[in-house]
Amino acid sequence: MRNIKPIISSLLRSKSGPVLLLTQIVLSVAIVANASFIISERLALIDRPSGIAEAQVLSFRVYNFDPAMDLRKQNQQDQLILRDLPGVIAATSTNMVPLSGSGWGDRYVDGPDPETAKSLPGFSFYMGNEHMLNTFGVKLVEGRNFYPEEIKMGPAAKSQTALITKSIAEAHWGDESPLGKVVYQQDIAITIVGVIERLQGAWVDSSNFEYSVIQAVDFGGAMSSTTYLVRAKPQDIAQLKLDIPKALHLENPNRVIDEFYTVAEHRGHSYSNHELMAALLSVMIVLLLLITSLGLTGMVMFNIQRRTKQIGTRRALGARKADIVWYFLTENYVICAAGAVIGVVAASQLGQQLMNHYSLPQLAWQYPAVTVLGLFVVTTLAVILPARRAADIPPSLATRSV
Amino acid sequence: MFFYYLDMGWRSIRKTPVLSALMVLAISIGIGITITSLNIYQVMAFNPAAERSDQLHAVQLWSQGPDTWDDYSTIITYQDAMHLRTGAIPRAQAAMFRTGQAIQSDNPDVLPELRSVRVTDSGFFSLFSVPFLHGGAWTEVVDQQPAYEIVIGKAVSQKYFGKVNSVGEVLYLNRKPYQVVGVIDDWNPSPKYYDPTNGSFNDAESLFVPFSLAPVEEFAVWGNTNGWQFEPMVTYGDRLVSEKSWVLFWADLADEQAREDYRAWIQSYIEQQQEMGRFTDTAKADVQLADVAKWLEVNKVLRKDNKILVALSALFLCVCLVNILGLLLTKFLKRAPEVGVRRAIGASRRQIFAQHMVEVTLIGLLGGALGLLWAWGLLHVLTERFHMDDALTRLDATLWFITPSIAMGAALLAGLYPAWVICRTQPSVYLKSQ
Amino acid sequence: MLSMKNISKVYQSELVETHALREFNLQVSEGEFVVVTGPSGSGKTTFLNVAGLLEGFSQGEYLLDGVDVSSVSDNESARIRNEKIGFIFQGFNLIPDLNLAENIEVPLRYRGFDSKERKRRVEQALEQVGLASRLKHLPPQLSGGQQQRVAIARALAGEPRFLLADEPTGNLDSLMARQVMELLENINQAGTTIIMVTHDPELARRAQRNVQIVDGQVCDFTSYQKSRSTTSTTAEPA
Repeated sequence: MRNIKPIISSLLRSKSGPVLLLTQIVLSVAIVANASFIISERLALIDRPSGIAEAQVLSFRVYNFDPAMDLRKQNQQDQLILRDLPGVIAATSTNMVPLSGSGWGDRYVDGPDPETAKSLPGFSFYMGNEHMLNTFGVKLVEGRNFYPEEIKMGPAAKSQTALITKSIAEAHWGDESPLGKVVYQQDIAITIVGVIERLQGAWVDSSNFEYSVIQAVDFGGAMSSTTYLVRAKPQDIAQLKLDIPKALHLENPNRVIDEFYTVAEHRGHSYSNHELMAALLSVMIVLLLLITSLGLTGMVMFNIQRRTKQIGTRRALGARKADIVWYFLTENYVICAAGAVIGVVAASQLGQQLMNHYSLPQLAWQYPAVTVLGLFVVTTLAVILPARRAADIPPSLATRSV
Repeated sequence: MFFYYLDMGWRSIRKTPVLSALMVLAISIGIGITITSLNIYQVMAFNPAAERSDQLHAVQLWSQGPDTWDDYSTIITYQDAMHLRTGAIPRAQAAMFRTGQAIQSDNPDVLPELRSVRVTDSGFFSLFSVPFLHGGAWTEVVDQQPAYEIVIGKAVSQKYFGKVNSVGEVLYLNRKPYQVVGVIDDWNPSPKYYDPTNGSFNDAESLFVPFSLAPVEEFAVWGNTNGWQFEPMVTYGDRLVSEKSWVLFWADLADEQAREDYRAWIQSYIEQQQEMGRFTDTAKADVQLADVAKWLEVNKVLRKDNKILVALSALFLCVCLVNILGLLLTKFLKRAPEVGVRRAIGASRRQIFAQHMVEVTLIGLLGGALGLLWAWGLLHVLTERFHMDDALTRLDATLWFITPSIAMGAALLAGLYPAWVICRTQPSVYLKSQ
Repeated sequence: MLSMKNISKVYQSELVETHALREFNLQVSEGEFVVVTGPSGSGKTTFLNVAGLLEGFSQGEYLLDGVDVSSVSDNESARIRNEKIGFIFQGFNLIPDLNLAENIEVPLRYRGFDSKERKRRVEQALEQVGLASRLKHLPPQLSGGQQQRVAIARALAGEPRFLLADEPTGNLDSLMARQVMELLENINQAGTTIIMVTHDPELARRAQRNVQIVDGQVCDFTSYQKSRSTTSTTAEPA
C-alpha cells in the first residue's frame, strides 16, 4: 500500500473508468444492503414456529348437500368415523385451519361491564372440542384440556371455557396466571382453563398472528360445509386421503369431500409471497455480485493491456510480481473504499425511501457493513486473477519499441 | 450503410467473444430481472374494466360504530344492500357474494362436484360486460321474486349437457333444479376486479344465481364476513338482519351528475337509518363510491412487494447499464487505432458514431432476446416453485414489444458515451504509432 | 493543387507551447512528386497531418485543389479526405479483421458507392498494385511489402487527386522498399500528385522535388545548404 498516493493521482487523472466502477459499487452496495435486509426479515418471518405438528395435521372440507341431513348429528358421527380410521391419532372438526389464510378473528374484554372492561389483544378464534389440542399437537403449559361435557354446540352459549396462548396471557396479565380468569364476548362469560405454549392463527401477515384462543365449541355442522382436522404420522397421510372420503361416503354419499392439505402445505402457500420475495432478491444479489465482478475483471484486463508497456517498465525497474498485483489491488481498494462510503449513504437513503413508501422497517446498519465487506472480497477475487497475469509480463517488454 | 455497420458490429462482437458475451449477459440479466418483476407488476396493476373503469363504482358504507374500523369496509350489510337494490339512479347495479354448491345434472355419468357460485342480480352481466353465447340474464322480475334460474359458463354447459346451447335445460345445485336461462362465453377478468376478496387472481365463477334466492336457499358465504361488534350468528336469519358486512355492491354511474345524485340519495338513506339507531359513527358515517382504479387500490391488488421489486430491479438494470458502459468504453477505446484509420480515410464523426451505435444496438437486441428467455424461465420457475397464480406468471403480450425496446434503449443509453468518445478520436494520434 | 501560405501550428499543453509549424509556405502543382525530409521533431508529420486535413492549424491559409480549407467543418474535411486524398502510412494501418477487398472498400463505403461500383474499383486498385489474386486474404497473412501495396490500393481506390505518404517504406526491407517506390512512381506518372515524407536519403534523391523541413519551416535546398555550413544541424545529408 505504500504507493497509494501515485495510484490516487493516476485515478483522478483517468476519469471515466474509475467513475463508472465507483457508480457501480455505490449502486451495488445500496441494492445488496437493502435486498439482504429484506431477505433476512422475510426469512425470520417464515422461521417463526407455529407450535403445531404441521406435517402431521391434515385438513379437509366436507360439503353436505343432502337437504334431509341433520348436520349436527352428522358431524358427531363423522368425527367418530374419523377417529376410528387406522393411522388416525386424533381428529376434530374446526372452524378454521392454522396458517391457511382464511379464518376467524375476535377479541375478549376482561370484565362484564363494557364501559370499564379492558380489551385483550385481538386473536385467531378457534372453535373446537376436547380433541383439538391433541390434533394440533400443541403443548399445554398450564391448566387442563376441555372436559367433553364442557363442549357447547354453538358460539352463543352463555357460559363457556377457553384455552389461550401464553402470548395473550403475557400481553394482558403479565406474569400473573390467567387460569380461572373470566373474559367476555358481550354477555357471554368465558373461563380460561388452560394456557397453550404456542399456537399461530390463520393469517401470517396479521399483527395478531401469535395470539390464538381455542373456545370449547364444536362448530362442525353449523353450516353445510364443515372443516375437519386429522392428525396422523406423515407416512400415513397419503393413505388417509384415500380412506377418509371412502369412509365418509360410505356413511352418506351426498357430499363433496375435498381440499386435503396438511398444515405444512398451508404454510407453504401462506408464506409463498415472502419466499418468492426472498428468492427473487437472493437471485438479484447473486447476479449483481456476479455482474459487478465480471465487469471489474473486464476493466482490469483492459487496463492491463493498455499498460502492458508500463508494467514491463516497472518490472525492469525492479518491481516484484507481488508489487504489480498489489498495484492493481490497491487501485481497486481505493475505488471500493470510496464506493463503500458513498454506497452506505446511498443504501441508507434507499432504505429510508423504502421505509417511507412501503413501510419497511428501518435498515439495520449491519447490512451495508457486511455488504461492503463482501464487496471487498468479491472485487479482490475479480482483480487478482487478471492482475496475476499482468505480473507475468516480462520486463524485456520495456526495451522493445513495438 | 446500415447493413455495413451491422456487418461490422457483428464482426466486432465475434472478434471479442468474451467481452461481448459479458455485455450480452449483463444486459440480459438486467433485462430478465426487470422484465420478471415488471411482468408481475403489470399483470397486477392491470385494470380490466378498461374504458368502463370510471363508470363502474363499488359502493362502500361507513356503517360501523365509532372507534372500530379505521377504513371503509369493502363489503356492506345485507340490509343496506337490499335498500341499495331499490335505487333508480344507476344504469345497472348488482349486489353479490360468492357461495359454493354441489352441482349435478340428469346426466348420471357426471359425478357431482362442488363449485363456486356467484349469487347476484341480473344487472351483473351488463355491469361487467359478460359475453352471452345463448339466452341471457334472468329478468329483473326475478331479482324481486326469487326463481330457480341460472346462467352458466360454456365449459360447464359442455360438461353437464354435452353442448354449448343448454338454455332450457335443468342443472341441480344442492339437489335443487335450476333452469338454465343463459350461457356465457369464457370470461375471466384478471384481476378478478368485481370481487377481489379471497384471491384477486382467482378464476371468475361460471355459475350465477339470483341474489333474491339467498334468504330462501340460505347460501353459505364463501367470502369475508366482517363484524365490528359481537353478534353471534346462529341462524341465516341472524346474518340477514345483523350489522355484519358480507355483500358487495356495484353500480354503473354514467357521469358526475349521476354520481352526485346517487351519493345524495344514499346520504339521505344514511340519515334515515341513523334515526333508527344505525350508522352510529355520526362524524364519519358516509358513502364512498370507488371506481375500478380506486377499488383495485383499496383492495391492495397490487402488493407492496411488487413495487419494491420493480424499484430494486430498475436499480439493478442501472448497475448493468453502468457495467456495460464501462465494458463498451473498454472495447471501443481498444479499437481507437482502427477508428483513426477510418477517420483518415474519410469517415465522418457521424458515420463512426452510427457504426458504434449499431453495434451497441445489436448487443442490446441479443441481450434483450436472452433476457426475455431468462424472464420466461424465471417466471416458469416461480410458477412451479411458489404456486403463483398462472395469471401472474404468464408473459404479458405487451412485454414482447417492451422487452426489446427496454433492452435496446438501455444499450443505446449505455453506448452513447462510449460511441461519442470514440467518434471524437483524433485520427492523427493513432496513425503514426503502431 | 496545394498551396500553403504562412501556416502556423501550435500545440498547447499546460506547461509548454510547441511551435510545430511556423510561417510555413509550400506550393505543390498538379502531377508533382514531392519528397519531404527533415530531422525528427522538425514538423514533418504535423505538416502531413495538416495537409491531409487530419488536424487543423492555428494561422495561415491553405488552398487545396483551389478550395480554401482553412476553416472547413469536421464533416467537410472528412468528405475531402475521402474524395481527394489518399493516405499511405509507415505502419500500413490496414484493419486487421477485414480482408483485402474489404479494406480497400472502406473509403468507398463512406462515399456511398453501390456494390457494383465498389467491386469494380477494388479489382482495379488491386490490379494496379499487382495483388489481384489475394482478394480474400487477411492483412496479417501478407508480407510487409504486400500489406503496403494493399494500403496503396486502398488509397487509390477512391481515385484521389493526390496521395500523402508518411514513411511508406519505413517498415520494409530495401528490396520491398524499392518495389513500393516504383509503384508510387508509376502512380505519379499516371497523373496523381504525391507528397511523401521520408527519412531515406536514397528515396529523397529519386524525387523530382525535395523539400526539407527544419524547425517547422520549409528550407529550400540552397538555404538549407547554407544553414548547414554555419550551424551544425543533425539532419541527414541530402
